[in-house]
Amino acid sequence: MKRVVISGVGAVSAMGNDVSSLVKGIEDGRSAVQYMEEWNQYIGLRSLVGAPAELINEKAIPRKNRRSMGRMSIFAVQATEQALSDAGIEHEELTSGRIGCIIGSTMGSAKSLNETFEIMLPQKDLTQLSSMKFFQCVSHTAAMNVSQCLGITGYVLATSAACASALQAVSVGYDLIRLGKQDAVLCGGAEELHPTVTGSFDVLFAASSSYNDKPHKTPRPFDRDRDGLVCGEGSGILVIEEYKRALKRNAKIYAEIIGYHTCGSGMHVSQPDKKSIASCLRQALASANVSSNEVDYINAHATATIQGDKEEAGAIKEVLGDLTPVSSLKGYIGHTLGASGALELIVSLAMMEKGIIYPTLNLDNISPDCQGINHVMEPVSKDISIMVKNCFAFGGINSVLVYKKL
Amino acid sequence: MKHKITENEIIKMTNQVFEESFEIETEKLQPKMNIFEDLGLDSLDIVDLIVALQQKFDVKIRNDERVRDIRTLEDVYRFIIILKKEVASLGTE
Repeated sequence: MKRVVISGVGAVSAMGNDVSSLVKGIEDGRSAVQYMEEWNQYIGLRSLVGAPAELINEKAIPRKNRRSMGRMSIFAVQATEQALSDAGIEHEELTSGRIGCIIGSTMGSAKSLNETFEIMLPQKDLTQLSSMKFFQCVSHTAAMNVSQCLGITGYVLATSAACASALQAVSVGYDLIRLGKQDAVLCGGAEELHPTVTGSFDVLFAASSSYNDKPHKTPRPFDRDRDGLVCGEGSGILVIEEYKRALKRNAKIYAEIIGYHTCGSGMHVSQPDKKSIASCLRQALASANVSSNEVDYINAHATATIQGDKEEAGAIKEVLGDLTPVSSLKGYIGHTLGASGALELIVSLAMMEKGIIYPTLNLDNISPDCQGINHVMEPVSKDISIMVKNCFAFGGINSVLVYKKL
Repeated sequence: MKHKITENEIIKMTNQVFEESFEIETEKLQPKMNIFEDLGLDSLDIVDLIVALQQKFDVKIRNDERVRDIRTLEDVYRFIIILKKEVASLGTE
């Protein structure tokens, strides 16, 4: 099997439209969560908080490429361009067929889906529909648009597994390179903030609704007073490539991917399950040939739902004990769903590079049901060699990635 | 009484569609311009051109065979002018 390294990163998030603003915002302990005043019009929507990204400079993308893009695909193209530039990969190389593109999301553009129904349903009339709505709404919209816009002729895949989408994208890319089927893969996720998205969690009582008047205080992963997740948006893209290729190019290597596992819980569509999360963690560590006491940091999924945080904390305690530092980044940028695995992985790589662990924002009082693990509540300086990234999705889908500093 | 749209207004409104929907600079919008070769539209854009013209002029042209003969910007103007006359003569406006 070939070795695989991360050699480029790009991000668009509520903190700003590049990686440095994302990392700086988190380093400064800033929350990007806002009160969403325009959501007030929806009857029954109790969660009126979100972490919106800003759509800027989108006209730099030629109209014929941009016309098929919803908001999330524009974010994905911008993040991909950053990642390519960071990795030092030229656009000409993308037509070789040896560089792929795997970008996941929960679904297509939520805004475009909503507009489509608003046009079509009142009169049951399709004659006013733009030809572009389909391309903006499909589940593979980000992967499709990025590959078309940049002329990528290698593998093009879209991992659609809600909150585990981006981490699965990285994992699939890892396998393709390990097996020698691709030399490099642009992989990650993209997602869009929309009242219909937050609403889908709110109807399940999984979205935060008690902090509408103090948005910076939510979400509160692992905290006693947590009351649910806050949706965010953006895109995170990583360039992963075959180790020797990266060495030959003299590329900057952020980390080596050394293992992963993904599995289903097979028991409930929405209830997270400690047992299957623990099993996923164990199998990911085994695939990396790493023992639990070798892990220097866990970047948790922890979205601040009552059930999810409890089950994840329990699984970490069971597999890794109470010494390994754990933190969640959702308090800073919200839960970016299909993009979260990539955006949070990118911030974790910055932690690895700087030798500092960013704490869980809004974790003031550890909840009794989340105790027994080493919660990071203040910035901690630490030499980090091996990291674990967790992502768990509705549908009982678990995903864990293990990576190592070289 | 409803205002009867003039030919100059049709030209101006059609140009607006090309500016707003296809981001084409005003200076390029000359009557003899071929909408494919000179203005850069393709088959997918034609679907959106039809939708935009329907909304701009409150007409139904999605199934009108004459759309297939359109080549220049002037053809678009002429098509809408004829269409508006037809609608007016039917007394449906």
